[in-house]
Amino acid sequence: MDPAARLGPAEVAAPSPPGPFIDTLAQLAVSTLLLGGIYALVAVGLTLIFGVMRVVNFAHGEYLMLGMYLAYWAFTALAVDPYLVLVVSLPVFFGIGLLSYVLVMKGVINASHNVQIFTTFGLSILLQNVALVAWSGDFRYVRPWELYVVMQGAGTTFNLSQVVAFLVSVALTVALFAFMKWTHTGRVMRATAQDRDAATLMGIDTDRVYRLTFAIGIAAVGAAGVLVAPLYAVYPTAGLQFVLLAYVVVVLGGLGDMVGAMVGSLIVAGVEVAGSYFLGAAWKEIFYFILFILVLIFRPAGLFGQRGAETLGA
Amino acid sequence: MAGLIPHRGALVLFGAAALFPLVVRDAFFLDSVVLILLWGALSAAWNVAGGYAGQVSIGHASFFGIGAYSSALMVTRFERNPWLGLLLGIALSLIAGLVIGFLSNRLKGPYFALSTIAFSQVLLIAVSRWRGFTAGAEGIPVPFRPGFATLGLSHVAWVYVALVVAILYYLIQVYLERSRLGLQLAGVREDEDAAEAVGVASRRLKVLAVASSAGLTSVCGSLWAQYIGFVDPAYVFSVDLSVRFALNAIIGGVGTALGPYVGSLLITTVETYLRAQFSGIRTGFTGIYLILYGAVLIVVVRFFPEGLVGLASRWWLRRPGRARAAGAPGPA
Repeated sequence: MDPAARLGPAEVAAPSPPGPFIDTLAQLAVSTLLLGGIYALVAVGLTLIFGVMRVVNFAHGEYLMLGMYLAYWAFTALAVDPYLVLVVSLPVFFGIGLLSYVLVMKGVINASHNVQIFTTFGLSILLQNVALVAWSGDFRYVRPWELYVVMQGAGTTFNLSQVVAFLVSVALTVALFAFMKWTHTGRVMRATAQDRDAATLMGIDTDRVYRLTFAIGIAAVGAAGVLVAPLYAVYPTAGLQFVLLAYVVVVLGGLGDMVGAMVGSLIVAGVEVAGSYFLGAAWKEIFYFILFILVLIFRPAGLFGQRGAETLGA
Repeated sequence: MAGLIPHRGALVLFGAAALFPLVVRDAFFLDSVVLILLWGALSAAWNVAGGYAGQVSIGHASFFGIGAYSSALMVTRFERNPWLGLLLGIALSLIAGLVIGFLSNRLKGPYFALSTIAFSQVLLIAVSRWRGFTAGAEGIPVPFRPGFATLGLSHVAWVYVALVVAILYYLIQVYLERSRLGLQLAGVREDEDAAEAVGVASRRLKVLAVASSAGLTSVCGSLWAQYIGFVDPAYVFSVDLSVRFALNAIIGGVGTALGPYVGSLLITTVETYLRAQFSGIRTGFTGIYLILYGAVLIVVVRFFPEGLVGLASRWWLRRPGRARAAGAPGPA
């Protein structure tokens, strides 16, 4: 498919209004911030799973796609606002995450990287095509009223959907961050991430930790799917671009590093927004892939990570 | 291990393919045979890096696409011979393979897989956007000009072209199983530090394996473009295609010479059958076989990581009435 056709008409980077250069910069900064907030929510779930379980979840984007479809059907069939769907989506995707872990991931948690890669790829193909068979390959759009509320301030333009998505996304990310930092369960998860053998020796039930981690990660990306549904087209392979992008973010920020993921999101969003503005939207994806390859070559442990982390203890 | 005994599976498979056009003249079935052989050869090419050297790539569509576009553009834009495009494709893929191979020395496991996907996405976007030269996302129809030099062949001739490539790639893999080079690669795959400790130049070997795998993939890409007569970036650089190369090899048996062909035989046949059965009913229905693939992939890597060939050879060695003197079965 034409990469340009993947995105719906509601491009996140709004066209810049005519005006002085400082306004253009302000618009680019606001677009970067709004986009980065959404990317952060996609990426934190991934970096959590990556960091704690040491599993690369290639099916991550498919859960995002399912979240988009949940928002679409709730909006189309039941006329429920996508942002209300969030309340339902969090427990639903938590449950889907638990189920996926028990059925698929649990068996490969100690397997080699290659087995894990192809297991999650299998899961990705499975989910994509379940969506294809169930709902066809048509592009679908969610158009709630928030999308048409245009807001202006300090020479910048954006719509309410972007702002809501950004705020909810940031709130969820911060909540997850606080959970990891200050609750006992969060500490247990971080301990498992640092050293799973030592954690087991300290009496931590690592299987339970992995189950919870996967469920939380999927709940986060499911919520992200609901939030981005009004901003992008909904179709069975919609997750692919997001998962690749989320990996760029996660690698930039460093494996399992949640603050790094947030910074990485802003960097990727900045590259995308600036690239679209100065060189055209058609080329924007190429920038973060090139950035990705460059980071992999020169700083594979991430911009702030320790050297050698890219080997994953192999 | 005398003579051809270890290759009886390959003899049956390639022999059947060679005899097939003598018996069957139906274009649909001949087309299926060409595709089984080509997809098998592509998986064999993937197997050189992914199976024998343990460098699992999910971006091999990059090299397929480079080969496909080289030969398509050579014919349409430069009005030259597609074979020249095939050679150009090999050269470009070797260069790209060296770059990816260099990455493999810095990155392991999932990071390497990710970098290969990123590489194929960069090519996908570049080719889609560079309309002036590549015709962009619409793709390029490759004209059919009869004759071997222009690769405008009948279905029967294509069966034999694909068969030659398939056998050649099979022999390359056999070489990797038996030769000193192959054993060194296996050493690097299983334990890089240990291999280095006994004097194996592991870095150079990995780069070599990835680059040659890239070149072999490109050849099939060039042939495929001439056979199908149409290339478009969204297909030839897709992640789906990259996964497909790996999938055939995994289901058939990673790191075995016959595995990719057995995997291709099974998957291409099932796919062709299901497509023919269901395509008329509803477009989304073709997704059914992909759901099946996904499920099969999950089950195979978890429960039968040695694939069908591995299972069969284990069964063969353990079958009742056979002395267990042959030693351990070989699949890695």
